[in-house]
Amino acid sequence: MSGSNRLSGLKARPKDTSVAEVRRVDEVGEARGFVDRSPRKKPGRKPSPRTHQLHPKVFPEVGEAIAAEAECLGITQGQLIEQMWELYRTRTET
Amino acid sequence: MPVIVMASPKGGVGKSTCAAILASEFARMGANITVLDCDPNRSLSRWASHGLPKGVTLHGDIGRAEIVPTIRAADGDGKIVIVDLEGVASQLVSRAISQADLVIVPMQATALDAEIGSEALALVREEEEALGREIRHAVVLTKTSAAVKSRVQKELEEQLRSAGIDLIEPSLVARAAFSEIFAYGGDLTSMMNDPEMRTGGKVDKALENAHGFTEAVYERLK
Repeated sequence: MSGSNRLSGLKARPKDTSVAEVRRVDEVGEARGFVDRSPRKKPGRKPSPRTHQLHPKVFPEVGEAIAAEAECLGITQGQLIEQMWELYRTRTET
Repeated sequence: MPVIVMASPKGGVGKSTCAAILASEFARMGANITVLDCDPNRSLSRWASHGLPKGVTLHGDIGRAEIVPTIRAADGDGKIVIVDLEGVASQLVSRAISQADLVIVPMQATALDAEIGSEALALVREEEEALGREIRHAVVLTKTSAAVKSRVQKELEEQLRSAGIDLIEPSLVARAAFSEIFAYGGDLTSMMNDPEMRTGGKVDKALENAHGFTEAVYERLK
């Protein structure tokens, strides 16, 4: 069995690698039980980096107003308190 | 250059062994080989970790999303591409088959291997029909007896031939050297020439068997 001269005669047949062709191949495979078995990512949302808890007691109307404002802005009460803190720091620094 | 895909939804039939033998032997003939290890057991990556034969490069951890572009990229480099697939029925397998110039379905001469291996053969035929082009495919019997051909093997060969299935001959005989290549790395020639590498069997007979198998595969790629 000698060398690369023999191998130079070997050629690949042209193949379609378009998205449509891959989809067709997937459909044919799935019909015979050759389904997607690639490992899935862990389901659910990632844990929040906000791990510290505050437990302030405030008057009910203040608590209700904070909750309503956070809901209105589409953020959590924790995020609203963070924004309030940033505002407070900006004011005290100037 | 051609793309050779080892496919069978059954594990332990000899896909990785066939891939390692073909990669080593074609490399010895002077070809540049790219081996794609798509098997989660990483048999070929373990083989590579002990040293690959000259002319062979290996890419591991290739999944369903990467298989088509990886084959296309390697094919374009003018190399023979050998794909070792996982032993399950998956989209990764069906996608790899669609990119093959030759699909080899290894099976041991048992009813179970034949039944499960026939799923791969059926899939190839259905892909041929859906894509409107021929995907050449063949069966090789593996781990056969060196001494005698069993009744089951004779019957299976007869059944495959009567079903019009291309049967690669010679079959791959159960040789210690074929399995120990994964422990030593390299190829059978280096195993035969290195006194440090000890196998329980006849490496020269394994090498002769590997030559014959590779020649038979070569004839199907012309």
